Amino acid sequence: MVLTCPVAMGRTNRQDESSQLPRRAVLRAGALLALGGAAAPLTGCGLFDRDEEPPQPDPLAPLLDESLRLAAGLRAAATVHPDLAARLVPLAESHEAHAAELARLTGVTTASATPTASPSGPPPGDQSAVLAALRQSERAGRESAIQACSAAPAERAALLGSVAAARATHLEALR
Amino acid sequence: MSETFAALADALTAEYAAIWAYGPIGVRLSDAERKAAVAAEAAHRARRDALVMQLSTGGGTVPPDRAGYALPFPVTDRASALRLAVQVEERTAAFWRAALPVSTGADRDRALAALVEYAVRATRWRRSAGSTPLTVPFPGRPA
Repeated sequence: MVLTCPVAMGRTNRQDESSQLPRRAVLRAGALLALGGAAAPLTGCGLFDRDEEPPQPDPLAPLLDESLRLAAGLRAAATVHPDLAARLVPLAESHEAHAAELARLTGVTTASATPTASPSGPPPGDQSAVLAALRQSERAGRESAIQACSAAPAERAALLGSVAAARATHLEALR
Repeated sequence: MSETFAALADALTAEYAAIWAYGPIGVRLSDAERKAAVAAEAAHRARRDALVMQLSTGGGTVPPDRAGYALPFPVTDRASALRLAVQVEERTAAFWRAALPVSTGADRDRALAALVEYAVRATRWRRSAGSTPLTVPFPGRPA
């Protein structure tokens, strides 16, 4: 099955690259097969059709995104207010550790786990305004993690519980 | 005995030990910190009572409290009292975390509320003790 596909793919591409394409296509086909697993039926070259629907995102993808956004917000604030860095950076590192665990759990690579909406910069204002804004973000993050844990299958519940608890402790540490 | 029952029975034994530990902790603290210890102990008592009630109606054998518990280290002053308070909250949090995968619905939500609350109390005790960082990345997770 795999061997027939590169031929079909190579035919649709420009001639000047044709010597390179079959090899690349084989590699790509191997990668797709490795990723596909039992999730989608593999029916010959249909795998490479342009109108193939993308796989559904994991329900935890928004939570992973949120971890990265919270980390980025804390790091940006630490840059603008260096005297807060000792407090903020460990919290950012916790969010990053959550993101790594969530990525592992949901089977996405850390490279592709970048926030879809990057923060527009650190929260504006003086230190107390910055801390208030960060607390607001952690509070929202705690609530979404609580909801995710509440609705999660057994094998995800413990990690999500720790994420919710960590976000709650961040709220406390930012007081 | 169901997995849920076993996990909640374990959480109950942790609550017994936590309530006991706040005795020696409280006498080494003063003022605001002692008040916080009283509030923390009350939270553990409330969860103990709720667990005893829930497990009794479940028809299984409810684990009994013991006359005393071994402290992990001697509590001789404020610093060691605060260190023990951090440990008590971290350990009880771990038992409630362990209940999460084996519970659903209201049981899951109660276990989560306990994990979150005790993690926050551990952070407050770390602040009282002046220890940093104030937080851990995965509260309740076995080291």
